[in-house]
Amino acid sequence: MADYRDDFIIAIRYALLKKSAKQKFSLFFLIILSIAIITLDKLSPSIIRPVKATLNDFVYHVSVLSSQPAKLKKHIVQKFKLHYNILSENKYLKEEMEYLKKQKFNNAYLASENQILKSALDLSIIKGLEQDFSISAKVILDQASPFLKSILINKGTQSGIKKGMTVFSNDYLMGTIIETNYLTSRVLLLTDLNSKLSVIIEDTSINAILEGTGKKQNLKLRYLPENYKPELNKTIFTSGKDGFLSPGIPVAVTYLNKKDKTLIRLLGDPDQALIVNVTNGQIK
Amino acid sequence: MLYFKLIKEKIFTSLPIVLLYFFSFYHFQIPEVGKINFFAFNFQMILIYFYILKFPEALGFGNIFLAGIINDTVLGIPLGTTSLSYLTLSLFTSYIRNATLRSVITAEWFTFIPALFFSNLVYLIIINNFSNVSFYYIELLQNTFFTFLFFPIFHYIFSQYQRLISKD
Repeated sequence: MADYRDDFIIAIRYALLKKSAKQKFSLFFLIILSIAIITLDKLSPSIIRPVKATLNDFVYHVSVLSSQPAKLKKHIVQKFKLHYNILSENKYLKEEMEYLKKQKFNNAYLASENQILKSALDLSIIKGLEQDFSISAKVILDQASPFLKSILINKGTQSGIKKGMTVFSNDYLMGTIIETNYLTSRVLLLTDLNSKLSVIIEDTSINAILEGTGKKQNLKLRYLPENYKPELNKTIFTSGKDGFLSPGIPVAVTYLNKKDKTLIRLLGDPDQALIVNVTNGQIK
Repeated sequence: MLYFKLIKEKIFTSLPIVLLYFFSFYHFQIPEVGKINFFAFNFQMILIYFYILKFPEALGFGNIFLAGIINDTVLGIPLGTTSLSYLTLSLFTSYIRNATLRSVITAEWFTFIPALFFSNLVYLIIINNFSNVSFYYIELLQNTFFTFLFFPIFHYIFSQYQRLISKD
């Protein structure tokens, strides 16, 4: 028993401390270094932050370079699909344009009526909201991670981006800024498990929290009233109760899946986003 | 001529390091099949386990550490998490290498289970205690399972590759 224990200790010591000809560092030293880095990252002293931001910028740019072949392949596949579907899409777009033309007049009437009613009630949707920042940015990296659903954009603190700002793609809410560096920023997508958003359901006064599940076709609504089941084809808007986002921004929609189950999907597609708008909480 | 041969040899022997860094910078995504993403596996872990076990001179611990740091930066998780996880895997693998006399692929495959377990345990402990990131444990389990499952395929590929370059 004692011999076995001695052998085990010798083998572990050998694995930890022994450096072969090609090894410049021992495992023990690198493990201690890793623990030190984790602790420093957690404590995040002010000296470390610029170093981390520079390291992030450098790694992100190299990562962008390394993902170019895959991007090219994706681009070719997308172009091919686009050409393949162009006829049916053209027909569909013509029909949609006709429909939208009719809707436009209706909307103009409703908007003017809404303005009149708001002024009569002395309400303003812009009250309390900072509406002075909007910047376009390019998505440079959308690396797949089984854990964190995020994208990287090519604008950082140098362009005035701050943590917590909201990101839109094609007027649809995509997510929020969770990390800023000098030249890049990380956007936490609405599909991420860590994303929480206060919303309101169309044609109802029901407030809820929209939570990501990691999948864009299946988001979850939390804190709904008891026995309430979301109806089909209902748009989910931001409620503005967080005090930052403007109310009424369309975020998601309910739909019926193949198994006749009502699910919630995002209106925007984070995978297709190339150019995004970063704002203080409003669509621009 | 000898100079070119040396360069060629250097390129071939550096391939595991190149792959390790490349997959730390670039995380490929293959479309899901049904509800399970069959291809969500950790290639770096297979690479580290194989090379530390069979050809430790081809993959330095310093490179493994740096690849982990890059991986953490790209994925946006606390710096050092993946490094410590990879180094735990390396430690376990070094122990297996020192403790075994004769290598058999089935034995190597099954000793990969505790190696993966300890390395993912370290990963989980750090994520849970040093960050606010939450994720589905089932996804990590799936990822670990497919990493284990694909090991023999990569074992064969890497062995063939090493045989090929040793012939040259």
